[in-house]
Amino acid sequence: MSQLFTSPDVPQVLTTTLSIPYTLTPGGAAGQFLAGLAERRILGSRCEPCARTVVPAQDVCGRCGEQTPDLVELPHGGTVTSWTAHQGRVVAKIRLDGADADLLHVVAAEPGAVEVGDRVAADWAAEPTGWITDLAAFTPGRARSGPAEATPVARAETSVEMVPYRLDLTYHHAYGPYYGRMFDELGSFSRLMGSRCSSCHRVLLPARAICDVCFARTDQFDEVSDTGVLQAFSVIHMEFVGQTRKPPYVYAEIVLDGSSTRLIHTVAGDFDLADAASTLSIGMKVKAVWKPESERVGTLEDIAYFEPVIP
Amino acid sequence: MSNVAVVGAGQTHHARRRTDVSQVGLAREAAVRALQDAELTMDDIDSVIVATGPVLFAAVNQPEKWLVDALGARLKPVVRVTSGGGTGLAGALAAVNQIKGGFAERVLVVAYDKLSEGALQYSISTLYDPFWGREFAVGIMGFSAAYWKARMDLLGHTEEAAALVSVKNHRNALLNPYAHVRKEVTVEDVLASRPLCWPIKLLDVPPISDGACAVILAGEDAAKRSADPAWIRGMAYYSEGENAADRSMIQSEPLRIAAEKVYREAGISNPRRQVDVVEVQEPYTCFELSYYEGLGLCPPGGAAQLIESGATQIDGDIPVNPSGGCMGANPIGATALIRLAEIAQQVRGRAGAYQIPDAKVGLMQAGGGWANLRGVAVVSSTKN
Ligand SMILES: [Zn+2]
Ligand SMILES: [Zn+2]
Repeated sequence: MSQLFTSPDVPQVLTTTLSIPYTLTPGGAAGQFLAGLAERRILGSRCEPCARTVVPAQDVCGRCGEQTPDLVELPHGGTVTSWTAHQGRVVAKIRLDGADADLLHVVAAEPGAVEVGDRVAADWAAEPTGWITDLAAFTPGRARSGPAEATPVARAETSVEMVPYRLDLTYHHAYGPYYGRMFDELGSFSRLMGSRCSSCHRVLLPARAICDVCFARTDQFDEVSDTGVLQAFSVIHMEFVGQTRKPPYVYAEIVLDGSSTRLIHTVAGDFDLADAASTLSIGMKVKAVWKPESERVGTLEDIAYFEPVIP
Repeated sequence: MSNVAVVGAGQTHHARRRTDVSQVGLAREAAVRALQDAELTMDDIDSVIVATGPVLFAAVNQPEKWLVDALGARLKPVVRVTSGGGTGLAGALAAVNQIKGGFAERVLVVAYDKLSEGALQYSISTLYDPFWGREFAVGIMGFSAAYWKARMDLLGHTEEAAALVSVKNHRNALLNPYAHVRKEVTVEDVLASRPLCWPIKLLDVPPISDGACAVILAGEDAAKRSADPAWIRGMAYYSEGENAADRSMIQSEPLRIAAEKVYREAGISNPRRQVDVVEVQEPYTCFELSYYEGLGLCPPGGAAQLIESGATQIDGDIPVNPSGGCMGANPIGATALIRLAEIAQQVRGRAGAYQIPDAKVGLMQAGGGWANLRGVAVVSSTKN
């Protein structure tokens, strides 16, 4: 039944990017490992009972599960145990001299010029930033700095406690036939189309294939009014990362006339937000205020806001 | 059906930011305390369940793998369970089922979140449909505030009644050595605090915490070797869809169903009289009021009167959140498991400064969303 508008101009996917800032906590030994890099020292941890040294330093021995192994400073030279090329760079597992586990890092060499068993040495960033890249890369050849063998060291006073980080995640969400038609209608005719259940005849917005209440298929699109009833509201004063509107504003859940579902939007209009709590009331009629046609882009934001209908 | 009991529990000192430990170190701290509490070692543990919130909270995918070495769980079965705010209880339920199914005799459940690391409301807002509603989403707070207002009108869950919840839980948290927030507040403080999403104000909202909790569950034979097992008399967890048609946002249907099932299993017909102590997960004060009704501690519309009567105070006839609840600490992924740990410690007589005298039957509730993920458990000092 889903008669799709098939204009090639209509996008098939919605591209969104989540851009999230983080402050990561390396924790005890890993924090000291990062702090050590700024002093051009490579810190590992050694579990004496297991006779194993791993790098970067860890708070816990993965073999026996015991806490607080001793810290050791490792030589700056090691051997390539395996490698691959990624985006033109050689990424290798490197067994530092005196370590019993590999360190994953970059080897500054052409992919064709690296072989398992090659000797490599630490190469340091000119300006440390408190991150693993303070150890810029490994370069082919012998180490000309660092201790000759793994050397026990006292737990350092300095530790990197926080590392800034960011995830930028881009997604391409497929509209599919139901959302495709619904957004086509919104973009082309500025009307809201829900899908009607073949069994209970509820109209569901956003449009979907199956009714949530009786699990029957929906079998037709039905236009939903741009007027409705305010089912619940709050007044947003809080600011947060990723927010799309400037507070204060009203968060509203509206049941549009002719539908059985909640629409999340905002209510505004000829009233002071400071008085929202007393001006607005649950069960109140509201009506969509559309943006000027030239500003519409085919999303719910084509509705600037809903305004109270004063009877 | 074989019986299952909590035989050990532990939690971290919760804080706004724990700079001394990574996520992994945080989880380990709780696990070590739970093992000590149970007088067990990792050698005694057959299976590990890691419960954390959405990975967007702290930018590490499949954190359970990261935890294996830190927990001393090398070469043991380790899986992750996640379910919004109810994550910790969903993890415990998975552990109960592993034991009942014969897969494991003792299971360690470790739940944590390190919320200082990410952008909380933004991450939570990604639970909304990216096409439809996410652009207006305000985490879970915007719509919680909206439907609290609706409950205010319909059920009398007033701002003053909610403020009493804040006052009670803040005061109880003063007794909790692991609490993140320990300060006394008054009703006037709560009512005058800054609105975040009106009617939700700053002091209606728990802290955002770094923290972890661990619980060790054991089957009947293993639990009998423990001095003071807290027997699980019933446990359930129910859900409903986010944007389904005709949802009742006034009373939580999943909570009603979960409570009914658990009360039937535990032989409880009058929770107000038969239960000695309650722990609930209150992401905002208004939630605790609705749980009073959903759990049958009072009739619908009776919550404001119940809190005003003092019955849910630590010295009342049905104490709710003697630990301080979420007001003391709220590391979301761990919070539901903390409620289970606290209620188990109550019936084991190990709740320290906030022990309810002679607590034998404990009730806990946890969940996520405004109304759509809800779990309940009853534990007792006796097997049946
Ligand atoms: Zn070891
Ligand atoms: Zn239907």
